[in-house]
Amino acid sequence: MTFLEVVFDNYFYLGSITIFLIGFHTLLTHSNLIKKVIGMNIMETAIFLFIVSIGYIRDRHPPIVVEGEPHMMINPLPSALVLTGIVVGVSLTAFALSLIVKLYKYYGTVDIDEIMEIRSRES
Amino acid sequence: MTHLPILIITTSLLVAFVLPLLGRHFPRAVEPLIIGIISANIVQVSGLLLYVNANGTFRYALGGWSPPWGIALSIDALGLFMILIIQSVSLGILIFARDDLIHEIENSLKPWYYTLFLLLLTAMTGLSVANDFFNVFVFMEISTITACAIIAIKPHPDCIEASLKYLILSTLGSGLVLFGLALVYMVTGYLSFDFIAESLPNAMNLYPLNIIVSLALLVVGMGIKAALFPLHVWLPDAHSSAVSPSSAILSGVVVKIYAVILIRLLYTVYGLDILAHIPISQILLTMATLAIFMGSLFAMGQTDIKRMLAYSSVAQIGYIFLGIALLSPSGITGGILHIANHAIMKSLLFLAAGAIIYQTGIRKIKDLVGIGYQMPLTMGIFGVGALAMVGIPGFNGFVSKFHLAVGALEAQQPVFVIVILISSLMNAVYYFPILIRAFFGPVNHQMKFDQLPLGMVISLIGFAVATIYLGLLPGGLINLAEAISQFLLSRS
Amino acid sequence: MADLVLQTVVKLLIPFIQMYGIFIIINGHLSPGGGFAGGTILGSSIILYALAFHVEDALAHYSRSRAKMMESAGVVAFALIGLFGIIRGGHFLANNIWGLGETGTLLSGGIILPITLAIGIKVASTMITLFFHLLEEKKL
Repeated sequence: MTFLEVVFDNYFYLGSITIFLIGFHTLLTHSNLIKKVIGMNIMETAIFLFIVSIGYIRDRHPPIVVEGEPHMMINPLPSALVLTGIVVGVSLTAFALSLIVKLYKYYGTVDIDEIMEIRSRES
Repeated sequence: MTHLPILIITTSLLVAFVLPLLGRHFPRAVEPLIIGIISANIVQVSGLLLYVNANGTFRYALGGWSPPWGIALSIDALGLFMILIIQSVSLGILIFARDDLIHEIENSLKPWYYTLFLLLLTAMTGLSVANDFFNVFVFMEISTITACAIIAIKPHPDCIEASLKYLILSTLGSGLVLFGLALVYMVTGYLSFDFIAESLPNAMNLYPLNIIVSLALLVVGMGIKAALFPLHVWLPDAHSSAVSPSSAILSGVVVKIYAVILIRLLYTVYGLDILAHIPISQILLTMATLAIFMGSLFAMGQTDIKRMLAYSSVAQIGYIFLGIALLSPSGITGGILHIANHAIMKSLLFLAAGAIIYQTGIRKIKDLVGIGYQMPLTMGIFGVGALAMVGIPGFNGFVSKFHLAVGALEAQQPVFVIVILISSLMNAVYYFPILIRAFFGPVNHQMKFDQLPLGMVISLIGFAVATIYLGLLPGGLINLAEAISQFLLSRS
Repeated sequence: MADLVLQTVVKLLIPFIQMYGIFIIINGHLSPGGGFAGGTILGSSIILYALAFHVEDALAHYSRSRAKMMESAGVVAFALIGLFGIIRGGHFLANNIWGLGETGTLLSGGIILPITLAIGIKVASTMITLFFHLLEEKKL
């Protein structure tokens, strides 16, 4: 197997890891808090994509029983995990945003570097 | 009897959501109810612990669906031991919080504080007994959100910023854990720990890379949440700015629960055979040693008493990970003992610091001169905690440090005995000046007695008695910890 | 920003959105969907109303205290259904309260339908509370 074939066969894994790294980089390097939250969400989405692509098997059906149509079914565990992860992601995002709103009210900026500067000037 | 584990979780959850409704109509019933429910939980856990000691561990299948179809909780000594610590320590903290919170947060927010607190307890209880990655992930997120919320509930910009920092880094940690568990699912097809443990040795032969990467991701993810040294950056801000009861529970229990999950993962899921192929033990030992030294070094430089205690937590987490990573029976025993002992000592110290702030408003260490004459009881109890932290024989810190040292010898790595000895001296360097300032400074105050509410005094005395009792008569706790380490080593 | 076209369209749409949300919730055990998805749709109908009209108008229809009550009620209902399984002699969340019914019909699946309902109520009110909190930028 050549390198290209490996890449081609696993393009969804590579794609999700690339997106993960983009999110990771945004989360850690941007000083704007809103962008940090966006990076957090991109990172989570990449993981969901990864889990969904693990759970997907070609030509299998979701595990919903319809009478008279026997099918090969997939394991619903990854989908359930992703659904739970999305719920958790929504609540984390909402909580982070409400904290950012409060910080903005105190400091008048959403840039963490500027907040640090204001704080060091105060103390 | 066998339904008790789920009853503990569900009744706490129920009460947590009834509290805000109750708080509006019968505000006086809130505190007795939460203290009552936690006392009931302690009784139930003690009963379960005796039952498990007599009859061995068992699995509780939710809805009667056994794994791999359903969810099962693992009711074993490790989980129950952790639940007992969580519930007992938080009982003491809540008795303290009754009077302390009035000064720190608005009265209308108090029922919500208790709701968050109880949800945090529920999540940690769930984490202690969870036996599959799904539940670990869900409970981990609940505990992250509630832990951040009990920091941010104090309307002060420092708290909000600390909480946001904690939230973002925790999310990063959960993301890594999720990635790790996805990699494990990819090669085994299960999320339940029992089934993963069964199929991992086979998978290790076929896909070693997946398993190594998953272990790395899980260790780093849990390490961020447990504030293991290079990943500890969120801890000092979060633990020092929060209200004192929150600091106590966060530093005393919340960071340790992730160490417990890591113990469970390393010993019962991955097992010693797989760990032998991966240098994870050496990596964790290095990180733990760095944590012990750097945490103490940072603590020496602090001027704020709560910040100093927070950095001291970083060092103490290092001890726990040292015990875990030694992979020897006494090492695990020492690590587990230190989880319990540090939970009690650090809660005691944070609450004593909270009592000082409550009465005098002093936070700076250099202003503490002569405080021992104003608050002899509080400073006496702070002294008990400090002595235990340093590891003076007769206090509980000594017991766990002794076991850790024996574990290091058992693992044939005597260098860690020296690490423990030096770090104990370093602990003394930053704890004793506080005591010396408090009691031996220039006396310009009349000798007074503490003016603290009754609840605070009871809680502080309770913690001090526990510290001394577990230092003088540690037999029962040691037996329990040894039983746990045997259980863990027999599984792997 | 009272816009007649917007407000009329929203008024017309909201019953259908809510109907769809309820459909998703009560068909959760038969088709994709369930408490979370349906609850979000239900919640979004109130959010749409608040966006098209005024927050105060939306609050008049679904007040803060009611949202909080509903949130608590959803969790309490879930826990009680779970505990009922123990009372009936099974495990927590055991599906032994009613018969399972015929597969594929609405009244089947035992306790799954009441549980999705409880989750739907909880999620809908949580969505609404989150939105109001972020919009008003006020404390609890």
